[in-house]
Amino acid sequence: MDMLQDFYEAALDTERYISNLKGRGKRIIGYLCSYTPEEIIFAAGLHPLRLFGTKGAVTLADAHMQSYTCSLARGILEDALAGRLDFLDGAVFPHTCDTIQRLSDIWRLNTRFPFFADVVLPVKLDTESARQYMEDVLRRFKNDLEGNLKLKISDAALERAVETYNRIRNCLGILYKLRSAHPEILAGDDIYAIVKGSMIMDREYVAERLPALIETLHETEPVEDSGKKRIILSGSICDQPALYTIFEKAGGVIVWDDLCTGSRYFDGSISTEGDPIAAIANRYLERSICPAKHLSNTIRGERLIDLVRDHRADGVVFLLMKFCDPHDFDYPYLKSFLDKEGVPSMLLEIEDQLPSEGQLLTRFETFIHMV
Amino acid sequence: MITAGIDIGSITAKAAILSDGRILGSKVAFTGYNAREAGRSVYEALLRELEMDAPTIERIVSTGYGRNSVVFADKAVTEIICHGAGAYYLNPHVRTVIDVGGQDSKVLAVNPDGTVKDFAMNDKCAAGTGRFLEVMARAMESDLDDFGPLSLKSHNPSKISSICTVFAESEVISLIAKGENREDIIAGIHESVASRISSMARRVGVQEPVMMTGGVARNIGVVRALERALGVSIEVSRFAQVNGAIGAAVIAAKI
Repeated sequence: MDMLQDFYEAALDTERYISNLKGRGKRIIGYLCSYTPEEIIFAAGLHPLRLFGTKGAVTLADAHMQSYTCSLARGILEDALAGRLDFLDGAVFPHTCDTIQRLSDIWRLNTRFPFFADVVLPVKLDTESARQYMEDVLRRFKNDLEGNLKLKISDAALERAVETYNRIRNCLGILYKLRSAHPEILAGDDIYAIVKGSMIMDREYVAERLPALIETLHETEPVEDSGKKRIILSGSICDQPALYTIFEKAGGVIVWDDLCTGSRYFDGSISTEGDPIAAIANRYLERSICPAKHLSNTIRGERLIDLVRDHRADGVVFLLMKFCDPHDFDYPYLKSFLDKEGVPSMLLEIEDQLPSEGQLLTRFETFIHMV
Repeated sequence: MITAGIDIGSITAKAAILSDGRILGSKVAFTGYNAREAGRSVYEALLRELEMDAPTIERIVSTGYGRNSVVFADKAVTEIICHGAGAYYLNPHVRTVIDVGGQDSKVLAVNPDGTVKDFAMNDKCAAGTGRFLEVMARAMESDLDDFGPLSLKSHNPSKISSICTVFAESEVISLIAKGENREDIIAGIHESVASRISSMARRVGVQEPVMMTGGVARNIGVVRALERALGVSIEVSRFAQVNGAIGAAVIAAKI
């Protein structure tokens, strides 16, 4: 689809897109996971850029990290050390998993970007003290940005940021729902490009483009349902457009996901009432959680079952990154939740690069046949 | 109904022909460079052997990594599904199938109707497969067919600790240099294969009866080592190597 061309360009050649943006005078702040309070970076007039793993081989980062570190962390450090992230004015490390926390120290000691911040978020999110703590952490992050980069973040700017992010997240949710209702309306790699592009491109532009895209899709003649098996993808991140294509070739379609680079990014909206920082903090406490956070012992399992029901899914594919401890620990209990409900699932463990297409097709075709 | 199954594996191509649920014949040939040609030639060779004409075959299903290169097949089905169907055909009570081929090893949990309930497969590495054993046979200067019977004579299997095929080969070479018994080294190689496969099998869950299929099932040493590792008895059909092709022919009768 022509309307998606800029999303594809940004998703596939991020360096080029960001260099252009930088040329127009934007200061770029890289960030690592969907718990980064992007809204505050945006309100500061800075450009938040989600960092993904490297597309090349990891050679420099291995001198600093253990081999049991996930390829995402190793890849991001590799890009930084190789000079492929030289456009960055700084980076933000939210404390979600231990790997990101450790990467933060290694990054600070081995790179020379002007700005650096740790955002030490609470782990338990279901207590009153966590609410207060989350708010304090976000205020401190705001102060760090203001003090280190000599700028001022006004309440009006924060309110504008809240509006922009609410619009983007709401639109991504609508696009996902449209696709769940009519899976043929967009290809899987289109959805990938839209979500990834939304974490890379200028957010004001994204907030304008997504409603236009939704309007176009509403006007599109509904395509006949091809009868493909409806699958939910659950895991950490998916930076593999080919995975969607291979899956569709095998006779399945991914109708929803529980990914950090997917529904967990856009879940929940920020209240426009009251203090904007408190409202932003609130959304991070209430959005669907990742396994590095705690709301209750069973919430992820319950939410996954709800997703399966809401989207009439035939099965779940767990996409786990090798050496991702938080997700690995959650997998057995999530699988047992699905088993109890009779929902078939398969586990695919990947690194930055996918296994060969032949191998993947054999597994996906068998799984589709099973469900 | 007369149906054929053609299984193009990484090392060998297999064909099987069934008539109303009865095996008329099967054949194995090397896949070589051209998977498309291998499928056709093993199939035609089997037809010649059975003195049958191609038109008498009513339906053909292809399987294996080269399944999509068999252009004359009516349908291509993954080898995981076919091994489940083949094992069920040979023993309808089977609940677990361990298929070890040239470069893949797979473990299947089978439903009471022969369909696949769950599966696991090796992904990043070919340790614990037929290719691993071929490399070891080269290092041992032995014929792979002798591996099974030789290893059964061992009372004290050597310890092979490397998982990587290349490192395991150097480990085997140093064991030879140390003067360890040939039988013990081969038994150690089989235990190493069994330990890789058994850990994958435990992920799926092992329920009896267990059947082993694929080319490596012909090696009695690996089968016995696997039985010890899993604490179950494992049945091996004389059709183990062509089980995928048989499963494909069984499925062909149903489509």
